[in-house]
Amino acid sequence: MSAFAAAEPAGDRRGLACAVALSALEGIGPATVLACVRGTGTGAAWDAVRAGRPQRIPPIAELVRRRAAKEPEMAQRLARQAAAIDPVVFLERHEAAGQRVAAYGTPGYPERLRNDPSPPAVVFWQGSLVGLDRPTVAIVGTRNATRLGCDTAARLAVELVERGVSVVSGLALGIDGAAHRAVVDRRGAGVAIGVVATGLERAYPRRHELLHRQVASTGLLLSESPIGSDPARWRFPARNRIIAGLSDAVVVVESRSAGGSMLTASEAVARDRTVLAVPGHPTSPASAGALDLIADGAVPVRDVTDVLVAIGMGGCEPVGHRDEAAAPAPISHLAARVLEVLEPGPSTLGELVVACAAGIEATSTALVELEVAGHIARSGGWFERTAEAGSARTGRDR
Amino acid sequence: MGFASIPSAIVVGVDGHRVAVEVHAARGIPGLTIVGLPDASCREARDRVRAAVLASGAKWTDQRVTVNLAPSSTRKVGSALDLAIAMAVLVASGELEAEHVRDVAFVGELGLDGTVRAVPGIVPIVDALGAEEVVVPVASATDAELVEGPRVRSVATLRELLAALRGEEPWPDHDRPPRDLSEPSTLDLSEVRGQAVVRRALEIAAAGGHHLLMIGPPGAGKTMLASRLPGLLPPLDRASAMEVSRIHSAAGHSLHGGLIRRPPLRAPHHSATMVSLIGGGTDAMRPGEVSMAHAGVLFLDELAEFPPTVLDALRQPLEEGVIRVNRARFAAKLPARFLLVAAMNPCPCGEAGRPGACRCPDGALARYHRRLSGPLLDRFDLRVDVLRPDVEQLLGGEAGESSSVVAQRVAGARQLALARGVLANAHLRGSELERWAPVTAEAHELLASTLRSGRLSARGLDRVRRVARTIADLAGHDGALTGAHIGTALHLRADVRLGAGVLA
Repeated sequence: MSAFAAAEPAGDRRGLACAVALSALEGIGPATVLACVRGTGTGAAWDAVRAGRPQRIPPIAELVRRRAAKEPEMAQRLARQAAAIDPVVFLERHEAAGQRVAAYGTPGYPERLRNDPSPPAVVFWQGSLVGLDRPTVAIVGTRNATRLGCDTAARLAVELVERGVSVVSGLALGIDGAAHRAVVDRRGAGVAIGVVATGLERAYPRRHELLHRQVASTGLLLSESPIGSDPARWRFPARNRIIAGLSDAVVVVESRSAGGSMLTASEAVARDRTVLAVPGHPTSPASAGALDLIADGAVPVRDVTDVLVAIGMGGCEPVGHRDEAAAPAPISHLAARVLEVLEPGPSTLGELVVACAAGIEATSTALVELEVAGHIARSGGWFERTAEAGSARTGRDR
Repeated sequence: MGFASIPSAIVVGVDGHRVAVEVHAARGIPGLTIVGLPDASCREARDRVRAAVLASGAKWTDQRVTVNLAPSSTRKVGSALDLAIAMAVLVASGELEAEHVRDVAFVGELGLDGTVRAVPGIVPIVDALGAEEVVVPVASATDAELVEGPRVRSVATLRELLAALRGEEPWPDHDRPPRDLSEPSTLDLSEVRGQAVVRRALEIAAAGGHHLLMIGPPGAGKTMLASRLPGLLPPLDRASAMEVSRIHSAAGHSLHGGLIRRPPLRAPHHSATMVSLIGGGTDAMRPGEVSMAHAGVLFLDELAEFPPTVLDALRQPLEEGVIRVNRARFAAKLPARFLLVAAMNPCPCGEAGRPGACRCPDGALARYHRRLSGPLLDRFDLRVDVLRPDVEQLLGGEAGESSSVVAQRVAGARQLALARGVLANAHLRGSELERWAPVTAEAHELLASTLRSGRLSARGLDRVRRVARTIADLAGHDGALTGAHIGTALHLRADVRLGAGVLA
């Protein structure tokens, strides 16, 4: 980093530091910082804010005026906050933490975001940007995903990276995490690009701390938030626009009708990227959003080929066929019935006993059979189909 | 100068303690002092006794009166000693012949007008007295008679008591509170529509003494199901019935003249305080809800809403079957061997945590579940999901088996457990499982693969085997546990979901 910094004129470095410092102020969002970068310059903006006279800088003046009803003392509050920050020291903190920083319009800023309609004013990243030079596909979806959804996300992610495509996602629970975990577990196969809402030093959700570190060390971890940014609500839709901006296509695996992934999809549409969705069962709430997208013209994903075609890699030779493995062992009639009942979505033992009209022990035995064969998985008291379930054959079929 | 000693008793925790009320009357400044560690309500006896004696027409002595409550080293609580103090004062001051009260014990609170009022804990008190004849308030007479041995005299006022003792009038024959020996109406299991799995879980819980956690959204019928559990348990035997009756009497509940023969059901609200649940508090060490549920069912609805300290306090009774309440002056051991049934919503949104459908923010779920400690969740051998039954089941679903049919199977399974030397299979020790709950090769493989998957802990393994033993017992299956038994036991022990997609 030091070599990179030294190559810059001193003034630019201060501009970068001030851009970072401005992003750390509460109430100043990426759009305002970007307007400063494009306008008066962040150094002047920072000095004005610090002096308690943000009115001199048009974008900040506009912001203060809009917020006046809610927060009449905003200018003074910003000045107080700014007094506690030394921009250059703050920038050095990022560098010391192994983060690289680039402001919009400066060398080093990711090429893919340069022409974005609402690019981040500053980006922070760890890892290597080479993943962005390859084709990129975002795999996103709901946090509360079904087992089938997570399996599908993981399988798609692995099949894409094996063909040299980088997988972009948000490192959230559910679909996002499943996709990246699969990429990280296939060490060396390809690049995971994680875009997070908080500062890079902070793994959110905490449960994904290990995944967060692994993506940072093997792939690319990127954010527009400086150190110390909390997981405030507004940051997540903002993060989603970066995911859309970085990707050649966006695949929504599972999403409810009002989920955050729907936002990612509309951001992708706004950027003229292809949106794809994995069709789910019509009655499954987890797939409602994905089906809405398909109804609105998104490309349905049957397998990885649909995604490859969407990013212009349709001719790619498949890397290998796992599906041609030995035919699965046949399953009992009751087990087949259980799989049928589970098709629309997860069920409890109680629901299965009623739907299969079988005894508790018999149903239980069938569930054990399916679990051992890997056709279903259990989470809490719920039983769900796995991606393997599609290949199940009953004894009757033979 | 006069002296008298009258036997009486007080209740601490669930046990009666004999107290000798000694009175010394001699010349001096007129007045009455009570010594021997009386608490506030006991010290106030001074004023009640004087007013009651005057109201009864007897003369109040102008001597100096000292009352000693022996043994004087333990704290005396409550107003049950009022009557004995009055009798001792009257004898010491020569108003009553000592001969008239020989071998008679007195229990009761006095009113200012001389009425004799009921006191809590009459059963353990009379039990501890061991007297030949005991005088009790009318309202407590039928309960006092439950104790075998003493002759129970009941009085309504001090005046009629004095007349009877002096032989001026016969012992009064008051209308006693009616004995209520009718079987308390139990709720029948056949009234539950659908919910086959939960009904089975209730049956297994009753048969094996396995603690049960029901996970389901509001309105799924968790409370209704839990309230049917006592009806499946075998009736209490004589010893348990006496023990339970003593506890309820000590807590101040009238027994209506009959021993409690049905296992009790206690369902404290989650706003209940620590003391009201666990017991203790004042010097009287009143039994709490967990002791009231002794030999019966303790139902905790909205488990996650209970304060974590209360839930942690449940661990001792769950392990040892007793609560030890220790205070600076003394300690009490309260029996608390109960079947714990708890209910909780899987998550605040009410979608029962259905994967892909629950709308709860992740943090809310984590906060919700953090209130339940792992060790507590681990005590539930049975953890089942309870969903709202759909309309067809509610309206048309066929009625299930009635409680009496299920209770018969439960009784059979309990017999088998007794033959193994335990009250119920849940109490089988780990070292005895090889003997009483061997598994077939197929079941062994299933357990091994579940252990390997990390879904089952070593402690959980034993619990699953005990439940499987109960399942087999209920089915009349003797011998090694098959894969179906183990599989069912595993499926009746759902992991508790901690947030989307993550298990604990």
